[in-house]
Amino acid sequence: MLIELLVAVTLASALVVFMAPDRIAPKLATALSLLPLGIVAVMWTQFDAAGNALRAGGEPAFASTIEWFALGQYTIQWQVGVDGVSFPLLALTVVLTTLAMVSSWTPIDERQSQFFGLMLVMETALIGVFTALDFFLWFVFWEGVLIPMYFLISVWGGPRRKYAGTKFLLYTNLASLVMFVGLFVLVLGLGGSLTEISLPAITQALEAGELGSFAGIEADTLRVVAFLLLFLGFAVKVPVVPFHTWLPDAHVQAPTPVSVMLAGVLLKMGTYALLRFNFTMLPDVAADFAEILAAVGLISVLYGAMLAMAQSDLKRIVAYSSISSMGYVIIGLVAFTPHGMGGATFQMVSHGLISGLMFMTVGVLYNTTHTRMVGDMGGLADRMPITAWIFVAGAFGYMGLPLMSGFVAEVLVFIGAFESTVIAGAPLFTAGAMFGIVLVAGYLLWAMQRTLFGPFELETDYEVGRAPLHDIAPLAVLLGLVILLGVQPDLIYEVIQDAVAPIVDSAGESLIVSTDSLSEIGGELL
Amino acid sequence: MVGALAAGVPLFGPGIEAAELTALFPLLTFIIIVFFGSYLPLKGAIPGIAATGGALLVSLWGVADIATGAGPRHETLLTFVEGVAGEGVTLTFGILIDPLAILMLTIVSLISFLVHIFSLGYMNDEGEIDLPRYYAGLSLFTFSMMAFVFSDNLLMSFVFFELVGLCSFILIGFWFREAGPPSAAKKAFLVTRFGDYFFLIGVVAVLGTFGTAQFAGSESFVTIATEALETGATEGMTTFLGFGEQAWITVIGLLVLGGVLGKSAQFPFHTWLPDAMEGPTPVSALIHAATMVAAGVYLVARMYGFYVLSPTALSIIALVGGFTAFFAATMALVKQELKQVLAYSTISQYGYMMLALGGGGYVAAVFHLTTHAIFKALLFLGAGSVIIAMHHKENMWEMGGLRSEMRVTYLTFLAGSLALAGIFPFAGFWSKDEVLYETLVHGLGGSPVLLVAYTFGALAVVLTGFYTFRMVFLTFHGEPRSELAEDPEPVRWNVKFPLAVLGVLSVVAGFLNMGVLKDIIGEENLFLHEFLDGVTMDADLDAAGLSAHHYAEVLESNFAAGYEVAGLSPLGPGALATVLAVVPVIGAWYLFRGPDVDPVMTKLGGLRTLLMNNYYQDEYQVWLATGVTLPIAKVANKFDQGIIDGLVDGTGGVSLFAGERFRRIQSGVVTNYAALLTLGFLLLVLIFALVGGWI
Repeated sequence: MLIELLVAVTLASALVVFMAPDRIAPKLATALSLLPLGIVAVMWTQFDAAGNALRAGGEPAFASTIEWFALGQYTIQWQVGVDGVSFPLLALTVVLTTLAMVSSWTPIDERQSQFFGLMLVMETALIGVFTALDFFLWFVFWEGVLIPMYFLISVWGGPRRKYAGTKFLLYTNLASLVMFVGLFVLVLGLGGSLTEISLPAITQALEAGELGSFAGIEADTLRVVAFLLLFLGFAVKVPVVPFHTWLPDAHVQAPTPVSVMLAGVLLKMGTYALLRFNFTMLPDVAADFAEILAAVGLISVLYGAMLAMAQSDLKRIVAYSSISSMGYVIIGLVAFTPHGMGGATFQMVSHGLISGLMFMTVGVLYNTTHTRMVGDMGGLADRMPITAWIFVAGAFGYMGLPLMSGFVAEVLVFIGAFESTVIAGAPLFTAGAMFGIVLVAGYLLWAMQRTLFGPFELETDYEVGRAPLHDIAPLAVLLGLVILLGVQPDLIYEVIQDAVAPIVDSAGESLIVSTDSLSEIGGELL
Repeated sequence: MVGALAAGVPLFGPGIEAAELTALFPLLTFIIIVFFGSYLPLKGAIPGIAATGGALLVSLWGVADIATGAGPRHETLLTFVEGVAGEGVTLTFGILIDPLAILMLTIVSLISFLVHIFSLGYMNDEGEIDLPRYYAGLSLFTFSMMAFVFSDNLLMSFVFFELVGLCSFILIGFWFREAGPPSAAKKAFLVTRFGDYFFLIGVVAVLGTFGTAQFAGSESFVTIATEALETGATEGMTTFLGFGEQAWITVIGLLVLGGVLGKSAQFPFHTWLPDAMEGPTPVSALIHAATMVAAGVYLVARMYGFYVLSPTALSIIALVGGFTAFFAATMALVKQELKQVLAYSTISQYGYMMLALGGGGYVAAVFHLTTHAIFKALLFLGAGSVIIAMHHKENMWEMGGLRSEMRVTYLTFLAGSLALAGIFPFAGFWSKDEVLYETLVHGLGGSPVLLVAYTFGALAVVLTGFYTFRMVFLTFHGEPRSELAEDPEPVRWNVKFPLAVLGVLSVVAGFLNMGVLKDIIGEENLFLHEFLDGVTMDADLDAAGLSAHHYAEVLESNFAAGYEVAGLSPLGPGALATVLAVVPVIGAWYLFRGPDVDPVMTKLGGLRTLLMNNYYQDEYQVWLATGVTLPIAKVANKFDQGIIDGLVDGTGGVSLFAGERFRRIQSGVVTNYAALLTLGFLLLVLIFALVGGWI
């Protein structure tokens, strides 16, 4: 019942904060957000899931099922539980929410009770997304995330907040619709074999080959259509190039803590859903399209990095580099190897922490300097040494410096993708994607050199001095977590591997090794 | 102690059992300095000296252990990522202590210890601020370098290879308030990162091919690869992209070599090292001369059993090494700043080590690495002493006549210079001669490409003698050419002590391995060769595949590199090398000796301009970054903003327009968006219900 408690406590906290006066709301909300954090900590100690929650034989932890209502032949259930894929993301959500709230103390100076209330509402919905196992329930939470996010951007955002908020909302809502249709293609194709539309039920029915034809369309076509629709729907969220243009706008306009949540957790909803739906339910289709998907990932990595290089707004740089980092997740997933899929999931958590750290640090600099443009400032390390060195550490984390979590994630993805038997020419795809580690170093080092080092320069009427402790503290915590996971990845990687192994295995059974075609090319090279 | 040595009893054994302390001491120091540095006396120098001193003792103890029979030690320290049984590799951190590793640990801890002491004079006494950051950087570097040295697998090597790169970045950019150092730091990291990109592909390829990245033992990738070629037993090896076993081994070797060339500043990745001289001089001595730059060469030596399998890879290593030795030496001829001469000299000397490795001279390479670490650290520290004296002026044309005011610095610098130039009997003579000899005999044995590389190496000897003594004469001889040089600032014990230690070592270190005289003194008296061959150890180093003897055997096998050794006495080539070294020294003396020195190098005209500009290598690399990559990025950005986002806004325009009208009707307050949202959401649920057949 811990998940129910978690959802209830967070939602109740939101209501309390909405009613609290603006003056005390920030600290009250932060204090209340320690409750879900504590509950998840307790869950951590009792976590006993085995396998993948969606697959036969999978035993999610803290699972509970309550029949809700009937919808024609289908029973709609309150069905929740977490496994090795969702639990690390759940933990990421509660940690980042609390830290993002602390980092809101300085920049959010109006309508605090609404802001912090909405943050808690969003946390509730995010908890739901990562714990729900019934499709209907999951979809309610999935859509539920958008509403507070929309308000957080368009009320507390920058000058073009209305445009960015609306774009975010329309784009992702449209994507939800596409995805929704995709899933229903599957549900209809499964026809009478399905009595509930829970994710495990759908997955296992598909695995058992129950998918029939619908409206005269063959099952094989249905699979592909469903896969495509689902992929398009989630690709917007991830975001995958070319569906990424809402992201920089949203980030630039959103206030810092909202960017933290957006990059840290909301993007992971997309990759999480890709893993849960596309890769767990339809691994055979994913494997058939392996080269195309890997190419999509590769383009996201390189194109995202090139875009980041062309920016001069620090926030845009980090925003575009998120696109690049999410490309690794796609490549890792499509590899269908233990380290590929495991590394991709690890990257979701790791990138959540590191991008959160980077956005927060940029926010702290902005609080003081009131600019984010690279050309406007220089030599900040002189005035704000602690913030600057945390920025440096975070940037190196982003570049995949060893003993920080980003390296583990990337190297696992690379190892997994290199030996993938699903992607023809996997080593070439991998080597191509790895070039991202050079590009990311290029633009982050350049940005650091310009803003942090050199003689101090800044035209401002404000006093530029050290940031207050409550601005620095969340940065330090995040940096600590990034290093902790970088040194001891097995803290979460063990459960991740346990949960992705069934998917890897299922793909392994039905897939044909398709490296022969590339063999000839390789032979001619030497 | 001497008795135990003579009796061949391991002194204590624990010397190598505790070898990880060499890394853990500095790690602890790093943590202490990061949190409490500004409260410590001397801002963190004391713990740094204690940690590196402790590491030095442990390393020396380990040397004694191995010299008296103990070792090798190979064990896994911690599991980094546990792979699922049967699928997915397990990544571990472990420790491998063999003669090579313990030798390198000793070098690193010795130089680091001396550099810490020197820093008291160069940094503390000069009143620098932010010293905790400096000492924290040194400690983090020492930790990373030690861990890199005793890594027992390639992934762990990569991890710490990158971390030493980070430390290099931090320390080059120590004076971040100026414009130059941060830019140099960025360049150093970026260029080496480019090399590391290939290295990382190599690591991933090794893991994919062999399922292990271990260096030593019967389960190591080196052994699997050797057996695959020797016996055709390819079960443990999966090649990719249709390559054959040997070709794939070559590919992997060359990929890893990318990281090596970057870190050891070999052509064409050498451009970062001269810029790195923006960092404090002790840092240049430690990181950019003696140790970190050696990491690349060390890595090739560490997995030499793998490289000897591929004649192609070896030839490339030899050619790049020989060419770099020559190419960098030409640029050193015309530099006007003391540290710049030394920087190009460092690139050139690492070229010799690569030449030796490619030429089949494993012991020669390690030997030159050892002597070079000593005399180049000495020269940099000597330069540091001069820089203190000159109030941070580095141009040699403003110096002159310093020898009378700075006896200790002059004498030790001279010893280092004689070693660098390869003059008998200083350390560099023995090691450089062995490098050239090994390349020559393997070249004459039927590998003409090695002869090309040898020629470059031999020509570089001439250049080395010349630029080294041009530097010595300009700095210390003649008459002072500026007011500062007339009255140099005196240096204290903390500068002189490290110089004295290294000065003595520069004279005697060559006696470790007097290869030129091996016919006279007997092979068993080539101490370093015997040490690296594991002769002193009770255990069989051949079995682990780590002995010099084993490498030579594989090197000469037909399934591997297939080198052959020509019968040639070392005395002849030794005499030739001596002549090649002595003549330019005399030439330099002739040109630069007097009180009034002619800037004769200007007579080179256009060639000098080319050399001063480093063959425009920097311009070309900057062009790659800002002339190619950046414009592509800008075009991509335009495309993204204009076309992709334009399409989105275009399609979105319809809805936005609808939104406008909706707002006009409803007076456009935020709550209406909520209404719109809720409506949309309900609509979705309705579709859901309809499709589900509920209604």
